[in-house]
Amino acid sequence: MSFLAPAFLLGLAAIAVPVIIHLIHREKRVVVEFPSLMFLQRIPYKSVRRQKIRHLLLLILRCLAFALLAAAFARPFFERTQPAVATSGAREVVILLDHSASMGYGSRWTSARAAAKKAVGTLAPDDRATLVLFANDAAVATPPNAAPAAVAAAIDAAKLTSEGTRYGAALKLASQIIASSKLPRREVVLVSDFQKTGWTTHDEVGFPRGTAITPIDVAAAASPDLAVSRVTTDRDSAGPRDHVIVAARVTNTGAPDKPVSVSLAVGGRTVQTQSASIPAHGAKQIAFASIAVPNGATRGSVRLTPDSLPEDDIFDFTLAPDDAVPVLLVEPSGARDNQSLFLSRALAIGDRPSFRVDVKSASALTPRDIDGRALVILDEVAPPGGPVGAQLRNLVQSGSGLLVIAGANGANALPADWRTVMPASAGATIDRTADAGGTLSSIDYAHPIFEIFNAPRSGDFSTARFFRYRALSPSAGASVLARFDDGAPALVERTVGRGKILEWASTMDAYWTSLPLQPVFLPFVHQLAQHAGRYADPRPWYTAGEVLDLSRHEELTAAFTRGAADSASEFVVQTPSGAKIRATATGVGHLVPLAEQGFYELRGRDTPVGGGRPMAVNLDASESDLTHFTPQDLVAAVTGSGAQSAASSDLETSTPQDQERRQRVWWYLLLVALLLLAAETTVSNRLSRATS
Amino acid sequence: MSLAALTPSTSFLDPSVLARIGNLELLAKTVVEGFINGLHRSPHLGASTDFAEHRAYMPGDDIRRIDWRLWARTDKYFVKEFEAETNTNFLIIVDVSPSMRYGATADDGRISKLSYACYLAACLAYFSSTQRDRVGLATIDNDVVDYVPPSAKHLQQILHALDRVEHRARDGRVQAGKSRLLPPLQKLSETLRRRSLVLLISDLYEDAAEVVDALGYVRGRGNDMIVFHVLDPRELDFPFADSSNFIDMETGEKMPVIPEYLRKQYRELVREHTTDLSKRVGEARADYALFDTSKPLDRALFAYLAARQRFNRVR
Repeated sequence: MSFLAPAFLLGLAAIAVPVIIHLIHREKRVVVEFPSLMFLQRIPYKSVRRQKIRHLLLLILRCLAFALLAAAFARPFFERTQPAVATSGAREVVILLDHSASMGYGSRWTSARAAAKKAVGTLAPDDRATLVLFANDAAVATPPNAAPAAVAAAIDAAKLTSEGTRYGAALKLASQIIASSKLPRREVVLVSDFQKTGWTTHDEVGFPRGTAITPIDVAAAASPDLAVSRVTTDRDSAGPRDHVIVAARVTNTGAPDKPVSVSLAVGGRTVQTQSASIPAHGAKQIAFASIAVPNGATRGSVRLTPDSLPEDDIFDFTLAPDDAVPVLLVEPSGARDNQSLFLSRALAIGDRPSFRVDVKSASALTPRDIDGRALVILDEVAPPGGPVGAQLRNLVQSGSGLLVIAGANGANALPADWRTVMPASAGATIDRTADAGGTLSSIDYAHPIFEIFNAPRSGDFSTARFFRYRALSPSAGASVLARFDDGAPALVERTVGRGKILEWASTMDAYWTSLPLQPVFLPFVHQLAQHAGRYADPRPWYTAGEVLDLSRHEELTAAFTRGAADSASEFVVQTPSGAKIRATATGVGHLVPLAEQGFYELRGRDTPVGGGRPMAVNLDASESDLTHFTPQDLVAAVTGSGAQSAASSDLETSTPQDQERRQRVWWYLLLVALLLLAAETTVSNRLSRATS
Repeated sequence: MSLAALTPSTSFLDPSVLARIGNLELLAKTVVEGFINGLHRSPHLGASTDFAEHRAYMPGDDIRRIDWRLWARTDKYFVKEFEAETNTNFLIIVDVSPSMRYGATADDGRISKLSYACYLAACLAYFSSTQRDRVGLATIDNDVVDYVPPSAKHLQQILHALDRVEHRARDGRVQAGKSRLLPPLQKLSETLRRRSLVLLISDLYEDAAEVVDALGYVRGRGNDMIVFHVLDPRELDFPFADSSNFIDMETGEKMPVIPEYLRKQYRELVREHTTDLSKRVGEARADYALFDTSKPLDRALFAYLAARQRFNRVR
């Protein structure tokens, strides 16, 4: 019998408690004042203290209850009788070959392949071998029942990847292969550089009993390395808007402190070079002078003088001009003074993103004004009918946003075409001037618009007063994002096609509400506009091993889909090695794995090569951390002992029902302990009555 | 005749009943008058006023005691002497050491040994004062705590002193520490100028030999001695059940005790102690009586009267 949580056996020490109570504490329980101990002291001491343990039955009950409780919490289970570990017969060999980026350091990859092939060379005719290549994920590289020659060929064909290292996935796959094997001898050969960042103790892996795990360490004793671990591209706030400052963080894991050349290339041309000295086991931030951002998304790179691991000496990124979000603000013909002032001023502030706001009168609105807008705001204007309305609906269908501010005049008379797409119909005006105005009381903080306000001291909507607002009746399929304190909807959203329509019950100036005068107004308007305009902050670079979800990156696909009604537009993603992946903005092909280091290119179906949107992919930064760990630690962790060939727990190979059945003992122990405690209560009550 | 045979049915003398009487004088009056009423048939009462002899007048004798009839016949001054001295010096010594506080329980209305001793002292003082005796009081622990010299007019002082003793005990202002009889008795014996009847009320938690040594100082000056040994029933029976830490009320010393295993030995030791005391005190020509605080006070009064009768014959 073994225990799942043997630490709880320390609870057996609690048995001392009843013993102490019976021996000592019980005597001290009552203090009696007595005139004189003259006679008591004359009685021999032995007879005073002897037989200190009273109520032996009670003591036994208490001790047993404690012992059983400790045993129950220690979760005992019965091990299955295991067959003896075979020492002869055919072998099931799984070769785990690490092809993560760090294996490109020096001659590690060559050594690793040689070691793997050597393991293949030891195979007897009856043996079976499987090659598993692993980095961030693990995959079987050889067909089932492959001959040794096929395995050796697969090793030769294996290539390094740009991904990080994760031992857990590889060991789990090996465990499954070993567990399903019927061969008497089982062996796992793990060829790796044993990078410390690749192994976490949370990787709970176990191998069947008798599995021999042979680690082959190809890492050198010391692995000094210089790497560019991060690049930032910040807008130069001191200079013109289209300038950025590129800064690179260079790390040194043990290389001698000597000057290295750090160069910045933009558009394939080196524009700046700096010499820097990076202290051993340290890091340094190197900032380049601000550079003008070229038109369109441009490739950029920071490079170091190549060392033993050249892959992490390059860091790619993309530079794109600040794509201002085009917003059209439509005012009514007889607009109040400064009706759009608060909105337009709020949207004019900020550069991530920046909004390009055009204000138009409803009477002068033409289809051309609407074209290409990411967001249209109808500021107390009824949705237009006719061709302008149709154009606006098409725009929303294709992914743009529409914000309707009901206010005093908006959404009064809805054209028939709009009734089916509007999130709510606006009813009578609710006047709250009599009770000092209403407040927003129910806000959906899980919604993207409001989630930034969820944290403490991150915006207080309760200070804003709403003196008048329209009674909105949400339509089917619409969701209410905020309500006033009387329960009336304040903000309603509806998804139409790929776009969204939002309706606001009050005004966006100080006519009906004090919201524009509150600090929360600016972030609220920005959140509203970003969400409605489907804005996503463009990332200058991605990490190898990530999966790009195109449906969430409108900024990448917008150039190829805007205006197109077909939401499932096809794209081509070209990898750095030249391979082409078909992708779509939504549907089945919207996930693109980014496995290679370098620049991917996203193109529309008709976009020429080189005309697409570049996406930089870099090595996982953890791969530059070449800190080594002892392979025996990993072996001990997965086998439960330090020996390389060890009898590991069989829990991994048994069914959950089987495991549960063998661990069920604690229930019975707990039950018996409870019964004992109940008996103890009865006995002690009786004894207490008898002695009182 | 034994004391038990003399005891009338005086249930109102029950200590727990008396404890409800707040006033010691009233308590003493109640007890003594009730006691006297119950003794109307007693042959012992009045023996103390019998004529003994005449003797020649000497300067300093009270002229009121001159037998004028005999002077008329003989023309000489003679004074009458009686068999009993009606105005005996009577000193009551009450042990007020911490151990005497033992015994008071609120649940069954029992009184402490100290209260019992105070009641007893008050009753006897009242009883004696009614007989025109000079009554004094001394309270002792390790030393003399309070002293009221014997006088026929000191009953009120005695009762007040007893009252203070009870108050001090309730306030916990009794001096702690192992008490010994020898020092205070030695000191008191030096203060007694006249031959006196001395009554000691104590729980006598000392070796019998030491007690007798202490009594020897009083006896050696020609005083008569009565010892009332007062104990609580629990001190005699040791009825405790639970294992406990026993704390000595005088020294504060602690001792873990499992009563059921030493009850028999304890009772045996107490019995030996009382027997030894009775024997040794008797040998020292003093009277000894053991009192259980649950028993009525009249037995103590009987014991006092019997002792006094015997001592009067000496005079």
